[in-house]
Amino acid sequence: MLDLLWTLFIEPLGQQSFQKALIGGSLVAVVCAVVGCYIILRRMAFLGDALAHAMLAGVTAGYLIMLVFFGVSADAVAMFIGSIIAGLITVLLIGFVSRVSRIKDDTAIGVIYTGIFAVGGLLASYFNDLIHIDLYHFITGMVIGVEDADLWMMATVATIVLCVVILFFRQLQITSFDPVMAASIGVPVLLIDYMLTICTSLVVVSAVRLVGVILVVGLLVTPAATAYLICDRLSRMQIVASVFGVTGVVAGLYVSTWIGDIATGPSIVVAITLQFVVVLFVAPRYGLIADWLRRSRFLPQKVVEDVLRSLLKSHPQPVSFAELSGYAEALPDQLRRSLRSLEAQQLVQLDSGQYALTEEGQIESRRILRAHRLWETYLSHVGTPEEQIHDQAHVLEHLHDEDTVDYLDDKLGHPLVDPHGSEIPEDFVHLVPGTVVKSALLREGRGGVVETVPDEFVGVLPKGTRVVAGPRRNDGRIWTLTLEDGSELALDHDQADEVQVRLDSDRTIE
Amino acid sequence: MAEATSESSVGQETVPAVEIENLTVSYGPTPALLDITLEVPQGLLVGIIGPNGSGKSTLIKSILGFKKPDVGEVRLFGESFERSRGRVAYVPQHGAVDWEFPITVQDVALMGRYGNVPWWRDLTAKDKQLAADALKMVRMQDFAKRQIGQLSGGQRQRVFMARAMAQGADILLLDEPFSGVDAATERAILDVLQRTKESGRTLLVVHHDLATAAEYFDRLILLKQRLYAYGPAEVVLDQELLGAVYEGQLRVFRHLHADAHLPAELGTGKKPSG
Repeated sequence: MLDLLWTLFIEPLGQQSFQKALIGGSLVAVVCAVVGCYIILRRMAFLGDALAHAMLAGVTAGYLIMLVFFGVSADAVAMFIGSIIAGLITVLLIGFVSRVSRIKDDTAIGVIYTGIFAVGGLLASYFNDLIHIDLYHFITGMVIGVEDADLWMMATVATIVLCVVILFFRQLQITSFDPVMAASIGVPVLLIDYMLTICTSLVVVSAVRLVGVILVVGLLVTPAATAYLICDRLSRMQIVASVFGVTGVVAGLYVSTWIGDIATGPSIVVAITLQFVVVLFVAPRYGLIADWLRRSRFLPQKVVEDVLRSLLKSHPQPVSFAELSGYAEALPDQLRRSLRSLEAQQLVQLDSGQYALTEEGQIESRRILRAHRLWETYLSHVGTPEEQIHDQAHVLEHLHDEDTVDYLDDKLGHPLVDPHGSEIPEDFVHLVPGTVVKSALLREGRGGVVETVPDEFVGVLPKGTRVVAGPRRNDGRIWTLTLEDGSELALDHDQADEVQVRLDSDRTIE
Repeated sequence: MAEATSESSVGQETVPAVEIENLTVSYGPTPALLDITLEVPQGLLVGIIGPNGSGKSTLIKSILGFKKPDVGEVRLFGESFERSRGRVAYVPQHGAVDWEFPITVQDVALMGRYGNVPWWRDLTAKDKQLAADALKMVRMQDFAKRQIGQLSGGQRQRVFMARAMAQGADILLLDEPFSGVDAATERAILDVLQRTKESGRTLLVVHHDLATAAEYFDRLILLKQRLYAYGPAEVVLDQELLGAVYEGQLRVFRHLHADAHLPAELGTGKKPSG
């Protein structure tokens, strides 16, 4: 077992080519990840692709110039500088085209970078006697076989880019997030943008050596995207992205060494893509599983309210779980979780396996019942066919905010019973002992002292008189108030609304 | 430096927050703004209204100093823009912000301090304190660690108000803060604007809803390339003026007219009591 681990993990480390690949790959992965965060937040992924392709022209031009003018073949520095210049020309041309014409950015990128890539291809093939650029490796990358010159180049790039990112963290953050605000406080937005573009070119040039032109974008954006699924702060996102980048490169290198005959570039990109897929599912907040869990944990209000109403039906008799699952239309699991949540809200209490409403739970369920019956009355009032009333009211009862219920109650003339003849609970939200309410809200037996009287009744109903509500007449359209001397006053809805009464501080009847 | 500050604070009662003098700004052959002259005294909540493309955002850009005027000048507290940079803050339109950007409420407020710190230096404890104070002022301190996308509409607006205050700005420019929010959020945002005004700051707000303009603002700027009217709502929301500015959108105008007139009268009624 140990032998196997040794062969798999430690032995490759002894090979110099593997060491170099590991060091170079890690350096590139870190800068790619750090810069990649800006690339994805600024939605510039396509630009990374463009820069990578434009490189071919730069490499070829650098090679040719050194060969023709200085007689030096395959000068790494010249090819490097050529790539950067080609990248910058590409960016400038893209900016130019989208500024002076009606061509949008993405189209401009497509036109310019393929054009420049093609020029590079043309040069490389025409001068193929002179130029020995390995086009295959340019496209797929060749990390095993990284030379010292490449390592130095990668280290230089990493140093420059990391310094820039650390020094100008705030400026890069604010220009990525809110360029208008940045400009208004005097940040040179354009300069910062160009700085980031140069950094991106540097990073891309060094990454092409690792994974090839086609896959550069993957190395640039995938670790950053993976980190974006987890992190809520830019600085943390950059650190996490670097970790994903480096581990991806290491995993890719090992796998390609083990299997032997596979290209390193694709192997690295497969590794970071797998990381992304895994995180996409398991990320704690923005992942698919988290999303699914959240949705399944979400209790439909309907179920909770059904439970409350079922409990109210048998109140004050407590109910067992089995009985309850007979009443409420809910899956056992949903029902159990609803009860737990209601218990946590102290609306329901559990006593030796039996559920009962607490005082607050009674109020809440009466509120829902009242909404339900008012909606039934309303539906029948607007002519809904009888067989639909119950189901529709069942859906509508979940609209039970105070304003809605008050509106229905008033519009329907404060009905006492619903169309099925069941009593509508009284308006306990407003009928708080000691407060002033419209007498229209009083049910039979409720009493109080008159506070406000319309002029027409001043004679018969002076302020300060104690009244008790009598039974309603004419199908509930006429209210009656009994005075202390036994005389009775009949009011219609409008009048009953205008007569305001301060409720007794204790209830006359239950 | 200290002298200059004390000098300007002495004159603060009288110097207008924003002075725009004969301002003409153009992008092409036709000017976007033509010969605008107006003065906004300190501590007012001012609405900028006008049809699409009437130069509202150009006016904002000119006050921010983004757009060099062809003619004329903008002064903030009596000084040219270069000297008063930092006294004016911009609150972006809701749609212009990437709400999924990995940034917390606290970080956004801290951004307000970036303009006061040279690039080679770190933010100080004092900067952090100022940002925290600003969050407290808009009652968002409890959300400091939240990512901005997890906030409600009104809370989001408040975060950016906090950033503007952390900037130490006395003039706030807001671009359509009420666009795309529900009525309750609109109320909540208005409340923040009003409280900001009460703290002595001056607010200029680009607004598109004529029906609520009279109720929300102390003064209105009616713009369509030229300054059509500037003053209290009952003067600006004049039927003829609106007709002239919104011609071509007359259908919209007719529909709004009844509404626009009503709050205008309310505005007059309110004035003496307020």
